[in-house]
Amino acid sequence: MNTGIQKRKTIDTTLKVLLVLFVFTVPLWVTSPTTLQILIFLFLYAYLTTTWNLVGGFAGVLPLGHSAYVGIGAYTSTVLFISYGVSPWIGMWAGGLIAAIVGIIIGIPTLKLRGAYFALSTMAFGEGVRVLVENTMQLGPFNINGPRGICVPLIPGNNIAAFQFLSKVPYYYIILVMLCVVLFITWYISRIRPGYYLAAGGEEPEAAQSLGVNVAKYKVWAMGLSCFLTALGGTFLAQLALYFYPKQILGLDFSFELAFIALIGGRGTIAGPVVGALILRPVSELTRIYLSAVLPGLHLVIFGLVLILVMLYQPKGLVGPLEKLYNWFLNKVSGTEKEVRT
Amino acid sequence: MPLLDIRKINCFYGDVQVIYDVSMYVEHGEIISLIGGNGAGKSTILRCISGLMRASSGEILFENAAIQNSRPEKIVERGIIHVPEGRRLFSLMTVKENLMVGANNSRAYPQRNETIKDVYKLLPRLQERENQQAITLSGGEQQMVAIGRGMMARPKILMLDEPSLGLAPVLINEIFQTVRKIAEQGTTVLLVEQDVQNSLGLSDRGYVLENGKIAQEGTGRELLDNPSIREAYLGI
Repeated sequence: MNTGIQKRKTIDTTLKVLLVLFVFTVPLWVTSPTTLQILIFLFLYAYLTTTWNLVGGFAGVLPLGHSAYVGIGAYTSTVLFISYGVSPWIGMWAGGLIAAIVGIIIGIPTLKLRGAYFALSTMAFGEGVRVLVENTMQLGPFNINGPRGICVPLIPGNNIAAFQFLSKVPYYYIILVMLCVVLFITWYISRIRPGYYLAAGGEEPEAAQSLGVNVAKYKVWAMGLSCFLTALGGTFLAQLALYFYPKQILGLDFSFELAFIALIGGRGTIAGPVVGALILRPVSELTRIYLSAVLPGLHLVIFGLVLILVMLYQPKGLVGPLEKLYNWFLNKVSGTEKEVRT
Repeated sequence: MPLLDIRKINCFYGDVQVIYDVSMYVEHGEIISLIGGNGAGKSTILRCISGLMRASSGEILFENAAIQNSRPEKIVERGIIHVPEGRRLFSLMTVKENLMVGANNSRAYPQRNETIKDVYKLLPRLQERENQQAITLSGGEQQMVAIGRGMMARPKILMLDEPSLGLAPVLINEIFQTVRKIAEQGTTVLLVEQDVQNSLGLSDRGYVLENGKIAQEGTGRELLDNPSIREAYLGI
């Protein structure tokens, strides 16, 4: 009996190590920049959805305006780079800080709202920011160029300090590490006291409150942290594309896509956003490549269909059944079906 | 001086008044029942006491301090715990994690490991299930977790909102036994119930709430013997 469990553990660990090795060695044998770009975007969306999940999953509300914080990150670091030559590596922290402050200020009144009201208020905020930016050419001393967006000034060659690289490989590793870090942060939060109180308040706010949990406080902190990390992703996006404009980076469909990914993968779980991104990003990329000329925005329609199916058959997201499948597989190959039920 | 003294509170949901000049008190170590039909306002009174909603007028005194304007976490800190109707467990957490969330207030947290032993002694089934996800438990077990979670906060007064709701008769008995044990161990209990027979049978005193007003009050025995209550709530 023990040998079976031992074997199961070995296989489990081996598979996980192999997966990590695989992910970290991809650029060694994948040379196509297009493929790398698709993977980079996959990780970026997994990253942004993981940070979204701190509020949208654990705090139990549905934010639909997170693109605003992506935008704050992108605009802050880029504007600082253009105006003062501040390295985006430093600018991204400034963007994160501003996003966190804005998120907390927005969160204090809105996180008291329930269900759809919170979702609508965040949506209104996101749209408000977009319209504001589209109609602003000059923000104080900074030129943000309204609806036409900003180009990050090109620095020739690979320049680490300027966060600009000719090859996709550095971007691949940067976003991969960022993703690992936020996954670790999420995992860590889910295991410490405030994380429990946050999840408790997210699922059953009244019960948590009547037990003395200051639900609002934990939700606001989660919002601040989420917005901070989201903005870091915004800087990454700006440095990757080197050009962005309000409709793209502050748009509603960007915010929606994050929510879609989380809902389909599994809200409030650690692996959910990654699973969701793995499923939805290819759909998004393929429809954009092959069908965007015919039907722009088709990927959102397909997302909607996938979401309806998932909500009907797996309302908690696809992470649960996949985990079951994985456990079944482990038990099968190590012959422990009868002893281990997880 | 009563432990909990409610003086002429009035409550509104929007423009609709649901509680009219309700006064009641709870002494140390008592079991008090608050009974009444659906929509009489029983849960509203508990929500006012625990700070989940505000009374528009009136006073709520706990250990002689006015608490009607305090935030829920401050009220918990003082030792008033409200176990809301319908169990409301944190479904993805294990039984033990649910219990531990109960011990979040600064008074209870340092003693959580001793408290959980007492809770397991009171509700042995929870220890057997301690690592199971709350969502996988039966209705009766879930109610036990809800009560245990309240006890983890080390209440001076435990307010239970319809703990017998939706349970089989055998389990209802078990729940009332548990309530009796909690009281015997020195925790004051304020019990909101529709199971009039059982709750009045257990209680030192009771209040009957009708349309947001206290219609009757007396000892458990008096109320059980009262013909109008027998007719309205027991159908005899």
